[in-house]
Amino acid sequence: MHIPENYLSPSTCGVFAVAMVPLWMRAARHVREEVPRQKMPLVGVAAAFCFLAMMFNIPLPGGTTGHAVAGTLVAILFGPWTATLAISMALAIQAVMFGDGGILALPANCFNMAFVLPMCGYAVYVLLRGREERHSDAAGTGLGRELVAAGVGSYVGINAAALCAAIEFGVQPLLFSDAAGRALYCPYPLWVSVPAMLAGHLTVWGAAEVVFTVGILAFVRRVAPDFGLGSLAGDDVRVAPARATRPVLALVAALAVLTPLGLLATGDAWGEWSVGDLAAQVGYTPAGMAHGWEWASLMPDYSLGALPAWLGYVLSAAVGVAALLVAFRLLGAQAPSRVDFGPRHDG
Amino acid sequence: MASEGDGRGAERAGLPAWLMRNEAYEPPRERGSFVTKSLLGMTGVLARMRLDDGREGPLSPSAPLKLLLGLATILLTSLCRNYAFVLVVLALALARAALLPARALRRTAAVAGVASALTFAVMLPATLLGQAHSAVLLGTKVLVTTTVAMEVTLTTAAGELTRALRTLRVPATAVLTLDLALHSIVDLGRVATEVLCALRLRSVGRDHDKRSSIGGVGGVLLLKAGRSAAETADAMACRGFDGSYDVTPERPRPHQRAVDCAWLLGAAVLLALFFYLQGLV
Repeated sequence: MHIPENYLSPSTCGVFAVAMVPLWMRAARHVREEVPRQKMPLVGVAAAFCFLAMMFNIPLPGGTTGHAVAGTLVAILFGPWTATLAISMALAIQAVMFGDGGILALPANCFNMAFVLPMCGYAVYVLLRGREERHSDAAGTGLGRELVAAGVGSYVGINAAALCAAIEFGVQPLLFSDAAGRALYCPYPLWVSVPAMLAGHLTVWGAAEVVFTVGILAFVRRVAPDFGLGSLAGDDVRVAPARATRPVLALVAALAVLTPLGLLATGDAWGEWSVGDLAAQVGYTPAGMAHGWEWASLMPDYSLGALPAWLGYVLSAAVGVAALLVAFRLLGAQAPSRVDFGPRHDG
Repeated sequence: MASEGDGRGAERAGLPAWLMRNEAYEPPRERGSFVTKSLLGMTGVLARMRLDDGREGPLSPSAPLKLLLGLATILLTSLCRNYAFVLVVLALALARAALLPARALRRTAAVAGVASALTFAVMLPATLLGQAHSAVLLGTKVLVTTTVAMEVTLTTAAGELTRALRTLRVPATAVLTLDLALHSIVDLGRVATEVLCALRLRSVGRDHDKRSSIGGVGGVLLLKAGRSAAETADAMACRGFDGSYDVTPERPRPHQRAVDCAWLLGAAVLLALFFYLQGLV
């Protein structure tokens, strides 16, 4: 679902940049006001889940691959606006360091995966969960109902994001083509892009998103109930975050080590082909792609020069996860410290 | 009438007329940048010197090994010509940085970020001449080496560093000088802060002569330093300390030997990777 460089016209990227700036600002304000300082590192851990989920490529018959995002999971744990900021940072690191998704296309990718996905997923989750308390009891029906709501929410969320990406791909040949009728950017129209994107997400990758979201949420709720925004109240502040999140960090480390499983899936995701592969498919190189700008990332495609692919994948995962943790810990250090002195008793 | 009566009463009490005048003195605004900046600078240095995040984790290597491994990593990173090796060390350094205490992380990020940004800025002309790879390589190398150096310093207590230096056969005189210098900086820094604070309190209004007080501050510090050195020498004599550090084997933590072996094994793998990648260039 990562739209590469030059698949969207610069004007389309500009429109999405203009749309995303106020959303990022609003997300930053929400995070500053709602997420306590001591919980900021945990947001980094949640962003790391997204980063790792996107590294597990899952193949479909026919040669295409896809991945989960786990955006709804972050929205459930820390609120949808925090998810917008966290996933945006994960996507930025992927684009800048690993060349996964374009730099110019970053706002469009953020709109799909960091805004539409968590917002839709969270809305469905809240609707299905009802007014029941989020942590009514870990072993009872409360958790079961929450997990079902999270599963359905994540499924709807990833499909909404895939639909948005498909529409962005599909409108390119309708809006930007040369005199001969050849597309300047993505050459596939809506009636090709929408079924192609949704076929995988409605089946395999949607299921992968559900498994990822429900699995990690169940693990977190049972093993580290302090992980997440809802648990910070009263006495819980005394719980040392480091100790409370140790199992979750262990899970992140395990996922990072397992990322080379993503290499088993050969082939590209739909809409993420190289320019040469695309030219071989459609019979010509779109002019906008032939002369387009390309960013030279440090570790392109999560590879590390002459090192084996699996090692490059593990090190990329370590770099990405560590960079996200460092970024959110530094953000937390900048945030003003707030102390809750309890309810006021005037007079 | 009442005030005249009061005036006469005061004269009768023997108060001079000038003391009876109403005061309308408003001191002119004074920026006081010299004293304030000196105070802030001194306090900042002291805060950094006293910042002791030297907490070892259960998986930390012993201090001498940590120092050696840090130096070796910095040396290998500086020598390597293969970018992949720099990225491998970057991954390791970032992973360690993510687990640092918050204050130590902030300092590491600030120092390493500024150093690498400065390097990149210096190398900008090379980028314009088509040597972008060199600029990125050098900038990343500086980022990695600074991060590793900061991590070693900030995760080792000052006393442990001294012990590590002595274990590594650094001459006792050098270790003693370093140790005394660090203590003197903290001690004299505290005195300097007190003197500057006194100067600030004494200076009311605009004081054009304030800059000349720097000589006074320096003089006081010099005298204090002389006295402090004499007291240290006396204290050393009283305790029978002649400046030689005998490193008594510290009671090792449980499994310390195994942890050190694991770290050495990791270092050997890194060294092998270095030679393998160098061979590919």
